[in-house]
Amino acid sequence: MTLSLPDSLGRLAALFLALAAGLAAQAAPVRTEHVQAELHAERAAATPGKPALVGLRLRMDEHWHTYWRNPGDSGLPTKIRWTLPEGWKAGPIQWPYPEAQRVGPLLNYGYSGEVMLLTELTPPADAKPGPVALKADADWLVCKDICIPEKAALALDFAVAEGEAAPVAANTELFAKARAQLPADPSGWTAEAARAGNTLTVRVVPAGGAVAPAKVLYFPFRENFIDHPAPQVMARDGNGFRLALKLVEPVPEGIANADGVFVAESAWPGVSGRKAVSLAVPVVAALPTPAAPVAVPAGETGGSLALALVFAFAGGLLLNLMPCVFPVLGIKVMGFVRHAHGDARALWMQGVVFSVGVLVSFLVLAGLLLALRAGGAELGWGFQLQSPAFVALLAALFFLMALNLFGVFEWGGFAQSMTSNISAQGRYADAFLAGVLATLVATPCTAPFMGAAVGFTLAQPAAVSLGVFAMLGAGMALPVLALSLFPKALARLPKPGPWMETFKQVMAFPLFATVIWLAWVLGAQAGNDAVLSLFAGLLLLGVGAWIYGRWARSESLLRFVFAAAFAAAGLWLSWPGANVAAPGEAAPTAAKPGEIPWQPWTPERLAELRTAGAPVFVDFTAAWCVTCQVNKRVALNREEVVRAFADRGIVPLKADWTNHDPRITAALAELGRNALPVYALYAPGQAQPTLLPEVLTASLIIDEISKLPAARPVATANPNPR
Amino acid sequence: MKKASLIAFTAATLFTGAALANAVVGQPAPAFTATDLAGKPVSLADFKGKTVVLEWHNFGCPFVQKHYKSGNMQALQKKYGTEVVWLTVNSTNAGHQDYQSPAVLTKALADAGAAPTRFVMDEPGTVGRAYGAKVTPHMYVIDPAGKVAYNGAIDDKRSANVEDVKGARNFVVAALEELKAGKPVSNASNAPYGCTIKYK
Repeated sequence: MTLSLPDSLGRLAALFLALAAGLAAQAAPVRTEHVQAELHAERAAATPGKPALVGLRLRMDEHWHTYWRNPGDSGLPTKIRWTLPEGWKAGPIQWPYPEAQRVGPLLNYGYSGEVMLLTELTPPADAKPGPVALKADADWLVCKDICIPEKAALALDFAVAEGEAAPVAANTELFAKARAQLPADPSGWTAEAARAGNTLTVRVVPAGGAVAPAKVLYFPFRENFIDHPAPQVMARDGNGFRLALKLVEPVPEGIANADGVFVAESAWPGVSGRKAVSLAVPVVAALPTPAAPVAVPAGETGGSLALALVFAFAGGLLLNLMPCVFPVLGIKVMGFVRHAHGDARALWMQGVVFSVGVLVSFLVLAGLLLALRAGGAELGWGFQLQSPAFVALLAALFFLMALNLFGVFEWGGFAQSMTSNISAQGRYADAFLAGVLATLVATPCTAPFMGAAVGFTLAQPAAVSLGVFAMLGAGMALPVLALSLFPKALARLPKPGPWMETFKQVMAFPLFATVIWLAWVLGAQAGNDAVLSLFAGLLLLGVGAWIYGRWARSESLLRFVFAAAFAAAGLWLSWPGANVAAPGEAAPTAAKPGEIPWQPWTPERLAELRTAGAPVFVDFTAAWCVTCQVNKRVALNREEVVRAFADRGIVPLKADWTNHDPRITAALAELGRNALPVYALYAPGQAQPTLLPEVLTASLIIDEISKLPAARPVATANPNPR
Repeated sequence: MKKASLIAFTAATLFTGAALANAVVGQPAPAFTATDLAGKPVSLADFKGKTVVLEWHNFGCPFVQKHYKSGNMQALQKKYGTEVVWLTVNSTNAGHQDYQSPAVLTKALADAGAAPTRFVMDEPGTVGRAYGAKVTPHMYVIDPAGKVAYNGAIDDKRSANVEDVKGARNFVVAALEELKAGKPVSNASNAPYGCTIKYK
């Protein structure tokens, strides 16, 4: 069947019109005082009876914002009134997920930068192909320090065409982005809420056992319902979570639902990477008992597995250069020098055994960490040094190693008597032990990538955790292994000779330095008395070691008895009691002039300061974190930094993790970290802090600080400043 | 029990910190003393036994302008001026561009024909924070017994458009009329609308 001429001409005309409309489907923008507004269509034309997607794009001036459907404590949602041809229907605005905007003690929900408000427009089924003019009157409130109601009369030259029109190329990206910012509507999820007093607890459990993200903010559709600026307290519940929300007063009665949008810091599972989900949340009488938490999965801390493995490897390599590995590195280098004259195969074997030692200890550590994690203990990397007993034990070990290097006594016979009497095995045992020791000592010094890598690891299934730890170990062992494989590089090392004894003895000094550092850590943890006990213990240990070495040739049992007795007494003395100073108990020492006046961190203090709209800088630190101490000296306590803090009215809070503090562990986990140092800068009005790098410089801090809005007097309504 | 409530109170205080308190409907209205435009003290206690209206104000705010340009607010102040005490409160901090000094405000109010009983300068924001005032205009009605009878928006047209004053349902009028008739206030608490108060 052929088309009659007029009919085909009509179709052709419609096609041309649609094409022409495609070019014009973007109307001229309207510029108001603080906003540029423009209508966009996704496709060149609408199909009769089918919804076509159009968007109102608002581009706000810097620092100005418009509002979500529930604007929060103040503000107004943007409104669009469509003037459409006969028979057309306009759907509601499809709101992208909002951001929380803090204004003094208030919290608003809105948009900054730009926002695309999508609406479905449906022409009638009998719409004639051809051009159509769409009109919209948009009203919005745009606020910075002040609010200005603005409006624009917008027009869009659109068209109706048979069949689906092609997307407008220029708008493809715009609409893709707008779609990605719409909350997803997942099915099969559990979402419910129950009220107790003025607290509403919302429980969300994704479908199919998918694990919810670590950090989620709730935005209710209903106004005058929750206390917007009150902290939302999150707890894990199986693969989902609970949010405890403060209700407004008087507590609204008879509310049947708490429907709203849940915005994750990263992405929700099972909704193609969307950051927000929209859920119907019926209010029920009571929630079920919380289930055991399921760890937050991969990707949450922002890295793919491959990337984490690479980071772990790089981190491991860097560990070789970290200050607290240095003494052990010395021991390793010395080992090479000692064995450089040996045959290549023995050397290579040493390298392999050392690497195995490193790997095994990393895996054991991972296993331990996993076991503890399974046990629900809130622990972080470097946790060993939070235990005073461990610190004292490590100090004793280093002290003994140093005495050994001085030649007070020799391992030789000891190590051999522990293994078999094949001479080479002593060396292998040494190499293995050196590997183990290197690992043990490296743990508190997290090289720049380590924080993220281990944070990622702890939130992984066991197999992935072990993989990441293995890569850390591999990275750490590689330089030693490489040297043992290519002994030619070793040839560049100095020739053996009497200097070796000197070198060996010199190597004892870094070990003693480490002992001093550990004693200082112990002092910070358990006080002066613990340090005294440690030193007394070390003295006795020294006596034991001296006896063991002095009568090395004696066959008498007395040598072992005395050496062991002194060593045991020494260990007993240096073992710190349970009298660990509680975190925060130690009064903060008054800041010296020219230093940052730190205040102790508590979650409440932080929330309070942020509610008051003060910029806050949190230093997550610990006495045992060397990088933290270095940063303190070279960057934080620099005159210009101290001045910048004062000028901007930044409140410096110090979260001291020297002793185990579950609140700090939890706070670090919220930031996706579990290793130190972590520096978090909270700008007023921003939901998330800026995390500064682990290695600080003065200029870097000042750069970050200068991004803050200019200093304003901080609210002083807190009657009891602490 | 006593100890538990003490702990709960302390925790609540700590948590709220510098945040806003709230004047809850049915509860005693927070007492305050501030100064008026002439620098004389104004105290809520001065108006014991009377119905008091609190109106949060800022001439720089388009939502306040809506009700003054339309003459709506002045008409209410005059209409109820004989029956109730009408206190207009301004909590704008002195560093904000919207801040007006008492002298400037006195003239602006006279030009606008405003007729509040007293005008309360709350530059430090203590009155606003005690009431949990969020926006301008945030409206409160305090009954003769000193209890909060209304806390919320001025009317149901949540816009800054002067045209919307006509045909809006005024919640403050409804509350005052119900109080006068000895009836409970039916819509006693809702979300206010307007500009964020420019607290210090």
